[in-house]
Amino acid sequence: MPTAILMSDFDLPTRSASGFLLRYIAPRVEPFQLFSFLARRLPFQLSAPQSDIIIGVGHGSKTSFTGQNEAVILEVGKYNPREVKGKVIKLLSCQTGVALGPDLIKNGAKAFLGYEDDYVWVMDSDFASKPWADELAGTCLLPVIDGLNALLDGKTAKEAFDVELQGYTRNAAVEEDDLIKSCLEFNHDNAVLLGDTSARVRSRPSITIPLPPPPIILPVSRPILS
Amino acid sequence: MSNSEWEKVKEALRKPATPEAMREAAEAFAQYEKVSLGKGNSRPTLVNLGRGTGYPHAVPVDKIPDELATNPQFFDLMKKIVAREKS
Repeated sequence: MPTAILMSDFDLPTRSASGFLLRYIAPRVEPFQLFSFLARRLPFQLSAPQSDIIIGVGHGSKTSFTGQNEAVILEVGKYNPREVKGKVIKLLSCQTGVALGPDLIKNGAKAFLGYEDDYVWVMDSDFASKPWADELAGTCLLPVIDGLNALLDGKTAKEAFDVELQGYTRNAAVEEDDLIKSCLEFNHDNAVLLGDTSARVRSRPSITIPLPPPPIILPVSRPILS
Repeated sequence: MSNSEWEKVKEALRKPATPEAMREAAEAFAQYEKVSLGKGNSRPTLVNLGRGTGYPHAVPVDKIPDELATNPQFFDLMKKIVAREKS
């Protein structure tokens, strides 16, 4: 069964977050990998019904989740329940835990992992061409990756959620910079898990050797500091 | 351990988003930034995945004082992140 993974990549935050997914998650899951300009509604509509898990990186609000250039992917009341029924859904996006997450569960999603407020982090914009190597961003984003990997290892949604939360707590305990520490604590407090906490997806093969970085990253298509 | 400059940032952000409080928070953050940031990392930038929020998706850390002084929505975001208060 394929994996629907959306990785928008058009400004600094989407490039940073998608870079980590591209490096650490994409190699262990099957198509469909909707990267950059493919992170749009139509490819999602085609791929989502065949997947047991939906993973998305993009800008969001209380009622919507978007892909490339903020093209709406999922919006409360404006999608076919077939796209989400029976899926475990993880959205790395702002505020989608407020209304969109509950709506997804109401429409048949097994479990939803997201955030009730903004998802914030400090990144080094000098790493825009190799975001996966950005240690500043990794402080916040690697706990997300660890949680996703737990899910793809066959752990339950609750176990994966706890892995992410523990990552924030562990990193905050050793973080010297107060701003980064505040971001970690903020993301920790805003993370939500809805639906069936014992939901699982089919486990995917683990990556046991370091993989080379992805070969290309497309240039950003808009001014990056917008 | 929090430094005294950071405590001043938190204190300023606990106030309502008036022009005076925003200016005070901006000055406090500028002082904190001089002490705590810019140690090796060349362009630290605060980013978010919000949509239609009224503040930029990416703010270079050295520009945070400017944004704090002029943008009430960004002031409120920083209030939530730093002072842990809902606006």
